[in-house]
Order: sequence, then structure tokens, then C-alpha cells
Amino acid sequence: MMNSKKRKRTGFLLILPLLILFLGLTIYPLIYMIYMSFHQYSLASWEEPRFIGWENYREILRDRTASSSVSFTLFLLFTAVPLEILLGIGIAFLIRDVWGERALRSSLIIPMTIPPVVAGIAWKMLYNYEFGPINYFLSLFGLPKVSWLGSQFFARLGVLLIDVWQWTPFIFLVIYAGLQSIPRDVVEASLVDGASGWSAMRYIELPLLRPLIWVTLIIRVIDVLKLFDIVYMVTFGGPGSATHSYSFYIYKVGISFGWDVGYASALSVILLLVVTVLTNLLIRFLRLSETLGL
Amino acid sequence: MKWLTKTIKFILIGMVIFFFLFPVYWLVTTAFKRSEDWFTWPPSFFPQHWTLGNFLGLEGGFFGSVTTAISTITPYLINSIVIALSVALISTIIAALAAYAISRFKVGGMGFVSWIISIRMLPPIAAALPLYVIFSHLHLVDTWWALILSHLIFTTPFSTWILITFFNEIPQELDEAAFVDGANIGQTFWHITLPLSAPGLASVSTLAFIQSWGEFLMALVLTTSKNAQTLPIYLGRFITGWRIAWGPLAAAGLVTMLPVVVFSLLMQRYLLQGLTFGAVKG
Amino acid sequence: MRKLTITSMIFIVLVFGFSLGYATELAVWSSPDNADALFELAQNFMQAHPEIQIEVTPLSWEVLYPRILQDITAGVGAFDVTTWDLMTAGAIAPGMLDLEAFAQEHPDLVDPDFDDDDFIPTARYIYGYWGDKRIGQPFYGAAMFFFYRQDLFQDKALQEKFQAQYGRELRVPETWQEAKEVAQFFTKKFNPDSPTEYGIGLMFPRTHTLFYMFLNFFGPYRRSPEGIEKFGEVDLDWGDLFTADHQPAFNSEEGVKAIQDMIDLLPYSSDPLGSDYGETLEAFSKGMVAMVPQWTACMASWQESPDLQPFEEKVGIAIMPGKAPVSGGWGVGINAFSKNQEAAFQFIQYATSKEGDKIQWLKYRVGPTRKSVIEDPEVIADAPWLKDVYLPSLEGASHRPRIPEEPRVEDVLVGTISEILLGQAPNSIETLNLVAEEWKKVLSK
Repeated sequence: MMNSKKRKRTGFLLILPLLILFLGLTIYPLIYMIYMSFHQYSLASWEEPRFIGWENYREILRDRTASSSVSFTLFLLFTAVPLEILLGIGIAFLIRDVWGERALRSSLIIPMTIPPVVAGIAWKMLYNYEFGPINYFLSLFGLPKVSWLGSQFFARLGVLLIDVWQWTPFIFLVIYAGLQSIPRDVVEASLVDGASGWSAMRYIELPLLRPLIWVTLIIRVIDVLKLFDIVYMVTFGGPGSATHSYSFYIYKVGISFGWDVGYASALSVILLLVVTVLTNLLIRFLRLSETLGL
Repeated sequence: MKWLTKTIKFILIGMVIFFFLFPVYWLVTTAFKRSEDWFTWPPSFFPQHWTLGNFLGLEGGFFGSVTTAISTITPYLINSIVIALSVALISTIIAALAAYAISRFKVGGMGFVSWIISIRMLPPIAAALPLYVIFSHLHLVDTWWALILSHLIFTTPFSTWILITFFNEIPQELDEAAFVDGANIGQTFWHITLPLSAPGLASVSTLAFIQSWGEFLMALVLTTSKNAQTLPIYLGRFITGWRIAWGPLAAAGLVTMLPVVVFSLLMQRYLLQGLTFGAVKG
Repeated sequence: MRKLTITSMIFIVLVFGFSLGYATELAVWSSPDNADALFELAQNFMQAHPEIQIEVTPLSWEVLYPRILQDITAGVGAFDVTTWDLMTAGAIAPGMLDLEAFAQEHPDLVDPDFDDDDFIPTARYIYGYWGDKRIGQPFYGAAMFFFYRQDLFQDKALQEKFQAQYGRELRVPETWQEAKEVAQFFTKKFNPDSPTEYGIGLMFPRTHTLFYMFLNFFGPYRRSPEGIEKFGEVDLDWGDLFTADHQPAFNSEEGVKAIQDMIDLLPYSSDPLGSDYGETLEAFSKGMVAMVPQWTACMASWQESPDLQPFEEKVGIAIMPGKAPVSGGWGVGINAFSKNQEAAFQFIQYATSKEGDKIQWLKYRVGPTRKSVIEDPEVIADAPWLKDVYLPSLEGASHRPRIPEEPRVEDVLVGTISEILLGQAPNSIETLNLVAEEWKKVLSK
């Protein structure tokens, strides 16, 4: 047995690599970002940063594009995420115990592992107004062609669709894995006692899965805040600023035109605050400390 | 009645599979279509004519084929492979060490873990600019290390979290038995803990690999040339403005997605094990 | 297994580390419309100079511009040579090599036949200078043109029908007012007998494309006698969107009228708000539209299109309705941080020489910037309209601002025009005033 002191020291050595990595690469960006958010600094104007206090933040409140990107992101949060979770759970239950389960499961993993950029290319082709397959399917039902990339409403719907397509498999996988790890005897016992398949699902399996559902919920919520790749590839934020996700807007401001570092930093600080709050919620809800034995 | 349920189930599953696989199917077939078939009405779902031209840089059917030829993809492929493998390897090692310390020695407690997890939640765009500034001072812009380091930031926390749950499953009595036999920490870790948590390690490295391979934003900001740019950047180079050569682009997309999809399918069992987050108690 | 992986990786890293520096390698960045021409010019150049390797990387507009900025502000030097869009001149000028100073320091590298005076004066300024600094050699001379289906306009039966329906002769529109009726005539939805699906191919996406398309409509008002009286002469650096004293000019009755012209044409086009360069090119190529305002480089693709053969009969080229097409075009310059400045200088000298300019036009339809090329008998035989349509187009062209703040102000205007076209904001001077306010703020920062 080692003594307590030696354990602590060894423990510390073991986490050292992680510590160095993160301290170096996250603390500095954090400080830089907060610092710059109070300055006017644009790489393209070839001038030094100029202190302007809260001006950037005031500007954000007046910025129409910023607020529309927030509303779009919220839109996705309240539509994409619930859809993904419901579908993911539904599919997990649907596929279980079906002939060819393994093959089905394998094919469902694919959208999740495809790099978002590749998915963007594929969907951009599907959304083509004149020749795209989706409009073709619509025409088979007698519906008019939809301008997926040219109409504000449909562009948003389009991004929503791709997000659901890409991430429902993730939810499915987690729930499916969770279902597998529920011991069969619990369920079987209830079936023997006369419960129907549906009740078993409702009263036994779903409650047991609840922690997992929470996990996926908050991971997805935070990931939607990061949404970038799909927007970039498929709509480039358009039409207008209809599909500017919040992260995409930061990109546009901070990099795409003019490198307005100051303003982009202010936007990022706000994002960071929101994410931090959500993360703490996550940890609290999951009672993660228990799960991890801490 | 049973057959009714079965039929409905069958139809639903069919619809689900169609929805999730059709875009992939479209991409794959476009990669093999001739240029006149890329956009037709009605769309060509089952191309009559196949061609390898998109992969060989022959297709285009119009000026622009030279510049969209897939033959220039090689450096990007190499970059992606090197970076993704390095990230998978390094993040697993760092995460394993840290997870072991936290699981066995409770270093830092919940506060430390919270901090680690919150890093994973950091939106990349917020970090991209400052990292660009740091790296340009260190002359690391447009190098492999710029991407490896920045990817590590986002993959390591998740890996650590998952590995902690895996290590927790391994009873501490085994460790103690080893100590009694005279082993030190290193040997215990190497010969006992690691082998037993192999599925966890496999799961974690696979996830890290997938994330790094498909990562776009950091590569967009931190790299500027084929010295370090990855496949997603290669794909994103001319997505707007000019006439897009869909065939070669789809071909490049296929090349980009094939390694990671195949790899994930092979490792899917481990993925499943890792993704329960230790949240469901048996 | 683990050890093997680690060793092989260290090996790879070492190999990479030592693989730097053999022959002089030039990294050339290019927009896609210039890339093919540059690629061939690079091939020619490499044959004459085997010790210099050139790699041409095409990057789409949204990627190229931020990347140039990123590189020159960080001083990385990832590219040696780049094509730069004329409106980015102000923003990138500080990071580009002063070519005249360089030529003075290296007289041995200057080609005696280069003939700088041969460039069309407007072209030499807008694709070459920012203030006094020569930051580029003119490469792609461009104004937008009006391409149309000549065969349809000359078709007797169609002419009769048009005369009967609209009470005047069917001819290529010279103003946007005329264009509306012609476009309607050629749109199947409004005229079931129309030979084409749509009358006109418009691209009004939420990108910088919309910014320059707007000028095609605003230019005619700005450059009309009334416009000149009201706003003053056009400054080449500030462009048609500003008055002579550098105040926004578009937030006016003229601006509203210009946007109204755009709105009126929307029904006659296929998905105008979702189409960009590629889509309209494709539509015209497949014979789906009768008219399309576009850049000359598209011709290279159209010449190959099966639906547009025989090309000379089917495709006609005219000056843009309103006669104030937007100017575009590219200069080619050298990164001030490039480590291969001599080789780069030699290359761009070749690429923009008389020979280079001629090749790029004849084969790739990249607009020439030299007077001698336009007068060249081979070129005249190939494209007689070049002298008649191209020169006046370039000379009467409307210009975008070239100032450093251009990307930011452009984005603001594009966002608002996009909203107006979508019907989300009213087309009024008040709406445009909001944009003007924003511009003034950005410019005063």
C-alpha cells in the first residue's frame, strides 16, 4: 500500500500532460478573447487595438444579424433537438430484436460518422432547385418545386433537416447501447407478471434510460450552438442571414470579412457564458459526481 | 394482428433506412457519373453509364476540370491521416493517464472534472482566433501540430470522461492485489488496468479519430496550404461561386468519408460500449 | 503494436521536417475563374524555366479573400502569387509587394517587351494600383456582359408574336425597362409558347455576387446626366455607390428604382435568390433561359455545351442594358512576405505579357487587359465583338468600392438588399438609410 502523500503526488504527475495541454491552449484563448472583446481591433485595418470599453457589447444588442442568428439557433434548439431525441429513441426501440438488426444498426451509424463537410456536399446536391432529387420526389406527389436554398423559410428547414439526419443516429446509438445494457431478466420478469410490451417500455426501460437521455440532450444542445460546417457548405448563411447560426456569424465577423477580432471576441464571450451555464446544469442534473465516484 | 404490426414495423424501418442512406447513395453514385448526368430531369437514380473519370481527373466536360481534378488530393489525404491518427493516439494516452489518476486517486475531485468537461463544450469558433494568434507567434500556423494540438483540446475531455467510467468498473482490489505482489503503479497500469479497459480505449480512440478526421473549422482557420490542410478543407475550397464540378467533388467526398466510415463500422462494438457513459446502472 | 505506431509517426514527422527546400516552388493562389488560364500559363512558364515549380491552387471567392488577408497580416508567406479581386485592393495593399520598386531594384529581371503602356488605362489603374503603390499587374479585365440567344431573337415567328403582344419590335433590350417585357415573353409561365423556360438568368444570392449585380441596375441611374448632376463624378477608388465627396449615394430615389427593377425581373428567372454563378451558367448552358448577364469566362463552358451549338448562331453578346455594367476583374500580385520574390516576379510578368493576355482570352475567355491584344487580328477574327462591346463596356463600367472597408460595407448592403428582395423589408429610402448609417459608422471607425 502506498501512503497517501505518494498517491497524491503520483496522481498529480499522471494528470500533468492533460493539465499542460489545457492550461496552455485554453486559458490563453480565454484571456485573449475577453481582453479583445473590450477593444476595437480589426486585422484588415492594420491598426493597433484600441480600448473601447463596453461598446462591442452595446453593438451586439443593436445588431440585427446577431439577433437573427440567435433566433435561428434557438429555432434549431427547439425543433432539431427534440426531434432527434424522439426519433433516436423511437428507432432504437423499433430496431431492437428485428431480423438483420446488426446490419440496420451499422447503416444507421453512417450519417453520424460522415464528416459534416461531406454531408454538406451531398445535401447541397439534393437541394438543387431545378434538378434535385428532393424536388423530384415532391413533384411526384404533385407538389411544386421548393427553393431550398433561395427561400428563408425553406433554407432554415433545410438546415434543420440535415441536422436531424446527421445526429439522430447519435441519439439512436446511445439509447440502443443503453437498452443493451439493461439486464433482460428485469424486463422478462415484468412480462411474466403480465405486463405488455408497451408498459415494460414505459415503466421500466425508459426510466432507466433517463440519465442517458439527459446526457444526449445537453450534448446536443451544446453542439447545436457550435453548428458551423453544414451552414458553411450548404447555404453559407443565406439567403439573407436566414441560416446564420451563431457560430457561423462569429466566423463571418471574425474571419470571413475584415477580421473584426474585437467584435467577434465579444460575441464569443457571450457564447461562452451560455455554454458554461449549460455545462454546469449538465453536471448537476446527471449527478455526475456520483456516476464518476467523486 | 401480429402480421399487421410486423408490416408496419417493416415499412417504418424501410422509410428510416431510406431517409438515412439516400444522401449517401446519391453522393456515391454521383462520384461515378459522367458530367452530363450530374444534373438531369428526372434525376438519374440508376446511372446507365459509369465512369471512373471523376477520380482520374478526366471528367468535367467543361473547362475547370483541370483545377478540380482529384489527383491533387494526395497531400490532403496524408495530412488527414497523420493528424487524425496522432490525435487519436495522443488524446487516448493523455486521457488514460488522467482518467486513471482521477479514478484511483481522486485527484482534483469533481471540480477538476467539471473543468475538463466544460472545455469540451467550448465552441471551436471562440478558440479559433486566439489560437491563430498564439500559433502565428510560435510559427506553428499551417503545420500539423497546429491542428493536432487544437483537436486535442476537444477530444481529450470526452475521452477522459468515458475512460473514468471504464476505469471505475475495474475493481480496485485488483490494483491492491498487484501492489501486494510488488508491482508499482506503472506496472499495474500497464499490465492490469489497460488490458481490462481495452474496449474503452478502443472506443475512445475511435471517437477521437472520427472527430479529428471530420473537423473543419480549426483547419479552415489555422492552415493555409497543402502542407497541413486536411480533406474537409480540400472539399470546402470551391463550394460557392464558380460552376461546381459535382462529379470530382463527390469523388473527393467519397475518398474523405470512406476511411472514417469503414473504421467506425469495424469498431462499432466498442463505440457502443463507450457511449453509455456509465450512466445506466445494471 | 503501439511502439510500431509511435516509431512510424516519428519517422513521418522527421521526413516532413527534412523535406523542405528543393527547387524553387511558387505557390499561386487563384480564384476559380482564373485558375485554368493560370494553370496553362504556369505550364508554359515552367517549360521555359525548369528550375521553377509552380503550383496553382484554386480557391472560391469566400475562401480566397479571407485567406489572403490572414496570410499577409500574420506574415506567413504561404502564397507567393495571388489573383486579387479589384475591390479588395485597399484591404490587401499593405501586404503586397510594390512591383515598381521591385522592378527598380532588379532591372535584370524586367522584360523589355513588357510594355506597361499597352494596358488599357482604366484597367491598369483598377487592377494595378492602390494610391501610388503598384500592387498588381492587370490579369482578368472584366465588365459584365449581356449574353442572349441570338437565334431566338432572330426567329421570325417569335418576332411576329412579340410585335403582336407588346406592340413593338423584338430586340435585345437596351434598358432594364425593355428587358422586363422581353423577359416576360420568354418565360413559359407567362407565355406558354415560349421556347425557353425562363426569360432571364439572374443571380441574387446572399453573397458578394448580389453586391455587384446591384450595380448593373444602379449604375445606369448613377451615370445618367441627372445622376452625375446629383451625385457628382464617380471616384475610381470609391466607386458608383458613393458620391463625389465619398458619401453613400444608393440611399436615394435612384437606389430604390434600381432595386425595383431587380424586383420586377424576379418572376422571370429560375430561383434568383438561390442562384449564383454556377446555377445561371448551367441554366443558360442547357438552353433554359433566353438572356443572362454574366462574365466572359462563362463562354468557355458555353462553347462546349451541346445545347448551344452552333455557338456563333445561338449566342449573342451585347452591352448590358443601361450601359453601365459592373466592372470586375482581377489583378495578379506578389506577397510582400514571399520568399521567392524573383521567381514570382518573372512569372507574373509572363502571365500578364502580350502573349499571356492573348492565350488567356483565346482559350479561356479571360478578358484581356491590353490594347494590343484587342487589336490583334487573330483576336478580332475570333471575337469581333470584343472591340465593339468590350471596350465601351469597360470604359462605361460602374465600379464597386476598392477601399479596405469594402468587405464589411458590402456585407451590410447585401444583407439589406437581400431582405428587400425577399419581401421582408420595404423597398424605400428609409430602409436604405439604415444601411447608409451603418456604412458611415464602419467608415469612421
